[in-house]
Amino acid sequence: MIRTLAPRLVVSAALVGLLAACSSEAPADAPTAAAEPAVIEERQDNFEAIGDAFKAVRGELEKGAPDFTLIASKASDINTRAAKIEGHFPAGTSVDDGFDTEALAAIWQKPDDFKAAAQKLVDESAKLASLAGEGDKAAVSAQAMTMGGACKGCHDNFRLDDKK
Amino acid sequence: MNAPRGTSPATEPDIRVWDPLLRATHWSFALLIPAMWWTAENSKWALHKRLGLVLLGILVFRVLWGFLGPQTARFASFVDGPRTVMAYLRGEWADAAARIGHSPLGGWSTVALIAAMLAQVGMGLFAGDPYDGMTGPLNPLVGVLTADTITELHETFFWVVAGLIGLHLAAITWYAAKGDDLLSPMVSGDRPPVAGVTGIGPLPWLRGLLALVLAAGFALWVAYGAPPLT
Repeated sequence: MIRTLAPRLVVSAALVGLLAACSSEAPADAPTAAAEPAVIEERQDNFEAIGDAFKAVRGELEKGAPDFTLIASKASDINTRAAKIEGHFPAGTSVDDGFDTEALAAIWQKPDDFKAAAQKLVDESAKLASLAGEGDKAAVSAQAMTMGGACKGCHDNFRLDDKK
Repeated sequence: MNAPRGTSPATEPDIRVWDPLLRATHWSFALLIPAMWWTAENSKWALHKRLGLVLLGILVFRVLWGFLGPQTARFASFVDGPRTVMAYLRGEWADAAARIGHSPLGGWSTVALIAAMLAQVGMGLFAGDPYDGMTGPLNPLVGVLTADTITELHETFFWVVAGLIGLHLAAITWYAAKGDDLLSPMVSGDRPPVAGVTGIGPLPWLRGLLALVLAAGFALWVAYGAPPLT
């Protein structure tokens, strides 16, 4: 019985698979029809670049003889970008507003805390940039970790995270 | 009852071609791979990681089963040389009437699918960035830039896995159109009788248990970051 049915099942399964593949480009969960504000992509690109710069810093520090000039320039880049964070979060752009973002409503509920968290990254990246000039690997590594703590501290409180 | 209508009197019973553990393994891939894709697309990283470790265990089990399992599960029984594969493609394969299980071409498709899934899961173990969300359990074992490269490769390589699965489904559809039903045996475990072939016999459950325990133990060890064992 099942044997005569099976080829048809295979064909329909293949068709369903094709349909699913075609529709996968459509937004998966968009509760609102409103267009996504451009600032969301802008801030995501900014954070992405901060992440890449930080990876480059850690990559250098894993080497026996890190390039401290590169670390200093990456730290300055992070510093410039960190200063933009505060202005990247206009009201109405949280994940609760239905956009594809990990920005929690806490950003707007505790604006002072958020501002302080962003400022922490500005301060720590500035410290890293100036320390890198001195070329002490242990000190630079320690400061890089401290700056990483600033990233993490903000993520823990203000970014939607699926860690559990 | 099991014999299809329109065939000769059902004196010969169906024969067993795929054991239950092999079938469970196969169908868990069909469930887990779409789930892995979905959890990645929707940033459900904790679930992605957990399911990935389950998938690792099942893949390791399948590899062990390729040595410990019944005849049709064993690599030695279905991994053929290029000459056999070419003969099969030309329709001149000598064993065509006597072998059950993977064909010479299907055997290589199976190897390719298992290898691609293992590579993909293997890369996932090292993927991620501890400062930016979830990381695979072996991420601390590699440098930050290596992990970054692996993460990007892990993203791209999914399309290799998806392509192989597409080929797999297309092949099954093609055989089905030719009247060769490969799906039902993978569901029920049985296929129509083949003259002179008795099937794979009962499940060697003790060896099955051994393979399951070894695979689960390995996956668990990896899940804890592959700590030293002594």
